[in-house]
Amino acid sequence: MLLERLRAALGAEAVKTSTEDLAVYSFDAYTDSRLPAAVVLPASVRDISAAVKIAREFGEPIVPRGAGTGLCGGSVPIEGGIVISFARMNRILELDVRNRRARVQPGLINLDLSKATAGAGLFYAPDPSSQKISTVGGNIATNAGGPHCLSYGTTVNHVLSLEVVDERGEVFTTSIDDAGYDLTAALVGSEGTLGIVASAWVKLLRIPESVRVWIAAFGDIDAASEAVSAIIGAGIVPTALEMMDSVIVKAVEAAFHAGYPTDAAAVLLIENAGFEDDMDACEAAIRDIVAQHGAISWRSAHSQSERDALWAGRKGAAGATGRISPNYYTQDLCVPRRKLPLALRAVEAAASEHSIVVGNVFHAGDGNLHPLLMYDKREPKQVEAVVETGSAILQSAIDLGGTISGEHGIGYEKREAMGRVYSSGDLATMARVRDVFDPQRALNPEKIFPSGARCPEVKSN
Amino acid sequence: MNLLERAVPATALEAAELLAQCDQSGRKVQIVGGNTLAGMGRPPEQAGVTLVTTGLDQIVEYVREDLTVAAQAGVSIASIARLLAQGGQFLPFDAPRQQVATLGGTLAAGWLGPRRHLYGRPRDYILGSTVVLADGTIAKAGGIVVKNVAGYDMSRLYAGSFGTLGLIVQANLKTLVAPQRSRMFLAKLPEGTYARACAGLATLRIAPAAAFAVSGFHSGIDGDEGQEGRLAMLLEGSASLLERATRDLRSALGRAGVPETSVLDAGARESFERVVDAYVATLGERSMTYRFNTTVEEAPARAPVVCELAARHELRSETIVDLMNGDVILRVSDLDSRALGAKIEAFDEALHALEPRAQVIAGEHPLRAVLNVWGEEPPAIDRMRALKMRFDPNRTLNPGRFVGGI
Repeated sequence: MLLERLRAALGAEAVKTSTEDLAVYSFDAYTDSRLPAAVVLPASVRDISAAVKIAREFGEPIVPRGAGTGLCGGSVPIEGGIVISFARMNRILELDVRNRRARVQPGLINLDLSKATAGAGLFYAPDPSSQKISTVGGNIATNAGGPHCLSYGTTVNHVLSLEVVDERGEVFTTSIDDAGYDLTAALVGSEGTLGIVASAWVKLLRIPESVRVWIAAFGDIDAASEAVSAIIGAGIVPTALEMMDSVIVKAVEAAFHAGYPTDAAAVLLIENAGFEDDMDACEAAIRDIVAQHGAISWRSAHSQSERDALWAGRKGAAGATGRISPNYYTQDLCVPRRKLPLALRAVEAAASEHSIVVGNVFHAGDGNLHPLLMYDKREPKQVEAVVETGSAILQSAIDLGGTISGEHGIGYEKREAMGRVYSSGDLATMARVRDVFDPQRALNPEKIFPSGARCPEVKSN
Repeated sequence: MNLLERAVPATALEAAELLAQCDQSGRKVQIVGGNTLAGMGRPPEQAGVTLVTTGLDQIVEYVREDLTVAAQAGVSIASIARLLAQGGQFLPFDAPRQQVATLGGTLAAGWLGPRRHLYGRPRDYILGSTVVLADGTIAKAGGIVVKNVAGYDMSRLYAGSFGTLGLIVQANLKTLVAPQRSRMFLAKLPEGTYARACAGLATLRIAPAAAFAVSGFHSGIDGDEGQEGRLAMLLEGSASLLERATRDLRSALGRAGVPETSVLDAGARESFERVVDAYVATLGERSMTYRFNTTVEEAPARAPVVCELAARHELRSETIVDLMNGDVILRVSDLDSRALGAKIEAFDEALHALEPRAQVIAGEHPLRAVLNVWGEEPPAIDRMRALKMRFDPNRTLNPGRFVGGI
């Protein structure tokens, strides 16, 4: 009956129910999976709205899904229900070059937006490493970051307005220029628990006139991370400031031949974009600092293709570790930037205590670490060790005054850890927002909030 | 605790006790910082307790090498700026009257300054916050790291909420490295050059940090009198970038037929701040100031239209057009309070027919209470009301001050 109604509303081809189809939508880049009752592929806002209304009539929860690249189980249908895939809603609806903005559908692939606007001299700044496949809608749901967020800010800084389908199937719009509460900011990063983004106006930036990319190699990882803290501490904030350790560099070079020095313990990939007038001074200042911190080599990328190769290596780094380990688990934590060296030491200590090989590839300038923990999922002991290592690393981030997710989100994976950074009163306050937008907990249930967090109101005293 | 008419809590806990008591006893609470943006929004609906945030006056932590600062709500924008300047950093909030304006007030009012096209809005600088809700809950959100997606972005929700969801007690912010140089250009606009000059500025490759076309607002900004148009432009950046930007700017103005420009290096900041201060400067009870936003392309042409409308209502008008963001600031005035009072309601209605989103940002005339101070209601107003109900069901905090009677 549910399926018939969905087919009648959206068309038979827009409703997937075969076991093989459902299996595809049962998981994301996290480990847990669960089959949904059906997958729908809306072609319009009206389709989304109809699907939500029907699902709710039958008491089914709704899980919106972009490309399924999330690492925290954010799009896994933990309670079954209806998965809404935006694979058919992947177009740019309007491109307003003069005002530097675009209205896009949620299923648009991130990189496709920058490709489509390059001719007009514009680009879309948020650039998660998954940008070749991840969608703008998914990026909005997780407030995705990326290497260039160091200077451009995360997704929330680039969303101007949203068209949203709520848990009753009603459509509403928000804009950062509307009078009233900043509902746009509340929705961005809410991981599909407050509404389903049906379209978005996003900001586009002018392509900078000058871009330089440099590689600094270090003999030990401590020196590299201290150099990063020193660069930021000196008041130099380049466009991107990324670090890779030797484990990662070797994997990247084996996979991509990107041009990274494989004899280094750590490599910094630094990009500065802006006006040509400022480039020499910026280069000299950074080069001085890395030299003072014992860099063993420094190289400028001389051409666009050289820069592209280095970035392709960086953005493909996680995938490249597939060559050296059957499985890997990516942790995501963020610490105050001066504490980066301490955080890296804590990662190393936690990994070695559990005999886990760790590779580090991350947004160093933001203090946003991504330790990749290598393991073999066929070995239960290794799985257990990885889980414990990941948990210990999160705790070290909290102890250093940091947070349990810099840019990947909480999803299903980290929801219990929310209680480690927030009091029950803090969480109950967040839940008040959920009460307004999704009182039935029909939208992406069992995410973000700890299980059993439908707690009574907690007073401060 | 005794409920005084005026309370100045010094800690989050004191504020929490006060709010909880008021909430339980049905007393309304008006939250006040430096009172510099008191002219925004509706006047308080009911008198009760006035909670003044200036007792929350601690800069909790400034970590220069992390580019972060944490401060309590009552700290003035100027005192944060002085501290950050020692570290070569700044916050691009551009609050008017920053000696008096508080951090909490600037955030809560969702103040939008002229450099936001370049640096973003105040809400984009909030990493975390501590807020006291009407029932006395002390709630933290976010942290003090520059990227954080652990849970909802509550801090951005509190920013711009006019204290109607909770009292911001502390905000953790990221800072920016200060530009090496600032340079202010002031130019008079000869007859017939306005449109071309504005269009020329909008297309500069090195965008000015701020650019204004000013008409009226005499003496406050540049000592100039009279209604004829002037331009004020702020360039920021390294010394070498400023040289190039200066050349580009001069030639753009030259092409538009704007001959003379005076250049301020020392005093550029102060000159810029005088323009920002003018946004909310009133002429006592005889003026009312509106703001509306449009596109950068359209803004220059919209200002003369609303001035014409004011003239039809026999009101004097002055405008500042923010050429980088597309804001129009319109101050209408008359000889005295009574004269303004006789015309302002009709003008308010006519203005909103042209510019539905126009908001009142400054005005001391008692009739402000009956004007359409927020412009047209946002499409999601029902959800906003529901949020208010969930956070402050007794309407204890700043009742009636916000959009749609929230």
